[in-house]
Amino acid sequence: MTARPGPRAGFWVFATPLLCLIIAAGAAAATPADQIEHGRYLVHAGGCISCHTADRPDAIPLAGGRRLETPFGVFYSPNLTPDRRTGLGGWTDSDFAAALRHGRGPDGSPYYPVFPYPAYAGLNDADVAAIAAWLRSLPPVENPVPAHELPWYLRSRWLMPGWNLLFFDPQPFKADRTRDADWNRGAYLVRHLGHCGECHTPRNFLGARDDALELAGNPDGPDGEKIPNIRQDRKSGIGRWTIEDMLLFLELGMLPDGDFAGSSMSAVIDDNTSQLTADDRRAIAVYLQSLAPLDSP
Amino acid sequence: MRRSTTAALLALATLAFAGNSIAATTPADAIKYRKAVMSAMAGHTSAFSLINFGRVEHRDHLLAHVDALAALGTQLKVLFPAGTGTGDTDALPLIWQEQEKFGQLITASEKSTAELRAAVTTGDKAATMKAFKAVGESCKGCHDRYRKEDD
Repeated sequence: MTARPGPRAGFWVFATPLLCLIIAAGAAAATPADQIEHGRYLVHAGGCISCHTADRPDAIPLAGGRRLETPFGVFYSPNLTPDRRTGLGGWTDSDFAAALRHGRGPDGSPYYPVFPYPAYAGLNDADVAAIAAWLRSLPPVENPVPAHELPWYLRSRWLMPGWNLLFFDPQPFKADRTRDADWNRGAYLVRHLGHCGECHTPRNFLGARDDALELAGNPDGPDGEKIPNIRQDRKSGIGRWTIEDMLLFLELGMLPDGDFAGSSMSAVIDDNTSQLTADDRRAIAVYLQSLAPLDSP
Repeated sequence: MRRSTTAALLALATLAFAGNSIAATTPADAIKYRKAVMSAMAGHTSAFSLINFGRVEHRDHLLAHVDALAALGTQLKVLFPAGTGTGDTDALPLIWQEQEKFGQLITASEKSTAELRAAVTTGDKAATMKAFKAVGESCKGCHDRYRKEDD
């Protein structure tokens, strides 16, 4: 009787290369290249490009210098490329985490809330690290940006710790287990990464978001624009929009009546929502449709 | 004598009438007309998209909508006469400051609409989808630069 490899041996003959493949694929998922690609996606989903790119046809994306007019003065967005002198060259992961989630620069100085750190506070660790990885992978661009043009009492940042004490309560995003995965993903995108409320939620006289009116529109939005209500009110909000209407708007910028968005939302659609996966756009729509109706302020 | 007087009166009346009809187009009415044409275009775009994205049947209606868009699109160039940048309008003064660039964008939108029409006539769904998105881009591009949304 000749010894034949039993079924068990046969299993291993086939399984070993397969296992190696699985292990290799698992290792590949954690490579820096994948993390960088995930970071690229998140920077688009986070709307970083719209504000951190100057408003000129030849502007280099993310090299900063966009002029942002607000009721508190004129801000110029910083350069996010890894240039040592004028950008974020040398920033560590913890520098990125402090900036995004706590609104503090590497030297500990507070940022102004024109940078949406109150929304980014909910970003998870993996997303912060991926954003940092992609920004670090960009070619450095030397682009000094002008100083902010602010009233005297805002020029030094001594008011900011007080503002943060009053209005800033950094909380990590917590999934709501009573809701499905789409809803939770949508909540993360709308409330944190996509920071929709930074424009669509009205602000109080000190420039803090009035979250009692979350997403109900801002009559005094950036650049003097009136920002629409995206709660479910049928008259002043988007209560008549179906999920499909929202998907078309987020992808193409088309409103249900066939008009096309212009102004600041046009840039958000180009740089952010049209770049999302169809699943993420659907998650945003599902979340928005779940919100209680609220009339515009 | 009598005949020539009549002719002169008629000529005068015609002149007065012609003059009157030119003066009758107020900037407010020109703006109203522009909005009406834009709304008509939006209506056809919305209808087209409902079919295009498979939310309703009626693929045989696509051609009617794109024909209307093409016809109305060629009118855009004359819908922004001087003096219609103020009043009940979201049109920005930039339109009249850079007429050449504005005209180029309208020409580009006419071209993209013509391409959409061509795609519809071949019945190619994927090409129609692609061309429709391009038309949307041209609408959005112009609105982004030349329209201020404040309502």
